[in-house]
Amino acid sequence: MQGKIFFGCRVSLVSCFRAQSRCHNRSDRATFHWAASLTAPNKNLCRLVHETMTGANCVTHWQRIFEQNGISEPQYSSEHIISHVLGGKTIHSLAEKALTRPLTVEQKQMIWNLCSKRLQHVPVQYVIEEWDFRDLTLKIKPPVFIPRPETEELVSLVLSELAEEEDVLFSVGKTRWQNSQQAAHPLFLEIGCGSGAIVLSLLHFFKQSRAVAVDKSPEAVELTRQNAERLCVQHRLQELQLDVLSDSQKLTRICGLVDVIVSNPPYLFHEDMSGLMPEILKHEDHDALDGGADGLDVIKAVLQLAPTVLKDHGKVFLEVDPRHPEMIQNWLQERASLRLTYRATHWDICGKPRFCVLQRS
Amino acid sequence: MTSSILYNFVLSLARAQALSVRQWNLSSSAKTFLEVEHTCLLMPIAGKKGFPDLPVVVEDELDEQFVRGRGPGGQATNKTSNCVVLKHIPSGIVVKCHQTRSVDQNRKIARTILQEKLDVHYKGENSEIMKQKQEQQWKKQEKKRKAKDNLERKRQFKDILEVSSDVTEVKK
Repeated sequence: MQGKIFFGCRVSLVSCFRAQSRCHNRSDRATFHWAASLTAPNKNLCRLVHETMTGANCVTHWQRIFEQNGISEPQYSSEHIISHVLGGKTIHSLAEKALTRPLTVEQKQMIWNLCSKRLQHVPVQYVIEEWDFRDLTLKIKPPVFIPRPETEELVSLVLSELAEEEDVLFSVGKTRWQNSQQAAHPLFLEIGCGSGAIVLSLLHFFKQSRAVAVDKSPEAVELTRQNAERLCVQHRLQELQLDVLSDSQKLTRICGLVDVIVSNPPYLFHEDMSGLMPEILKHEDHDALDGGADGLDVIKAVLQLAPTVLKDHGKVFLEVDPRHPEMIQNWLQERASLRLTYRATHWDICGKPRFCVLQRS
Repeated sequence: MTSSILYNFVLSLARAQALSVRQWNLSSSAKTFLEVEHTCLLMPIAGKKGFPDLPVVVEDELDEQFVRGRGPGGQATNKTSNCVVLKHIPSGIVVKCHQTRSVDQNRKIARTILQEKLDVHYKGENSEIMKQKQEQQWKKQEKKRKAKDNLERKRQFKDILEVSSDVTEVKK
């Protein structure tokens, strides 16, 4: 395999030469064989089959190729993909030995295939088909929405507010003990579960809680189920494929009354969709992002649904666009019949107003 | 303000621990519940070593940076960078963490590392890390000394045996 050279395929030689000369500086007189891969989807790619390629020099090699091709986060992309192939979650988790020993042919093949995908602006999370969310590792598959770091904070917010509530209930005294027993394992409803990041984090923390997770996309519902099984919480989770904009009554019938509604609904303003980076625009489900003209289509549907599924004093936790907290408060003022009180806005780690907490009075 | 969610979460974990103690007592008997006092379990923000006496990290004294790019963030951005830079303003100590693929985990780890660094910074010789190192060294020395003693004792025993066998030979 290493000795063969394929002719007659269109190969981008310029980037090859550049990459090759850089590799030359790092290698010890290894000979080069060029092989244009007949299996790679894009025949313009040149695959270098270097005799003594290691994880470390692969990272550098592919970082340069990503840079030359305008791929965002060239270094992180390269590190994440190659450490994944070598069995680590991050480059830091791998021992130096693992990064400096020669790669097997299978490893090289895997790296080349995965990095070729990244060259198409496929997000890293889709390339390696997994990502971490808080202390969980989730399977991620296109086009299901990839969990964002801000959403980890949404989970922290839910957990800290529920813990505070329990504290209050306990300190009130023995008479509230029945209610507090239920509060100790709250019932959750998540709308727009995607890969299941939020609901599974909550079920992972509250070991006796149950949850209903809803998504419009069948792929999302299926992925949430798979992740639930991987985390062994599937027996406490019910997934529904449902569009809250049109089927809210069906949800009310199936769901019953819950303690908490949590959602990271599509909240982008429609006019902002076209400005998104190619990773998102070309590969993620647009329905998981586009919230309509003012980004509030699904949020409004969630809030209108809330009175029918929330217990008294139940809470709604939302992740939103920074412009939304004010818009939501204004919108609620004209809808007293919903009996929802706007409790608080919380800021994310980048200092943007990102989370809204509402409560059924 | 920006890190208040994480701070509240960690505090609530401490309360949740206290809560779990109460719940356990509840399930055993109602009478026990009435008698239980609120035991506040100290939540050491658990590092690998689990030191109990680390200095408390005050969130207001921290400046946390997380680079999310110039974009709007949230759903509009998809980046894998999750490096957290934590600066403790009074001491000037800076901790950078990108050990995991989760920002939340990196923030927690950064705080643990900061705690340990603050411990060394403020207590110097008396810090937990130094104490542990000293204890390890002491244990090592003790082990050597004991091994030496054992060896000495064996040698003496051997000598005695030789002497007694000489004596029995002479007697014959």
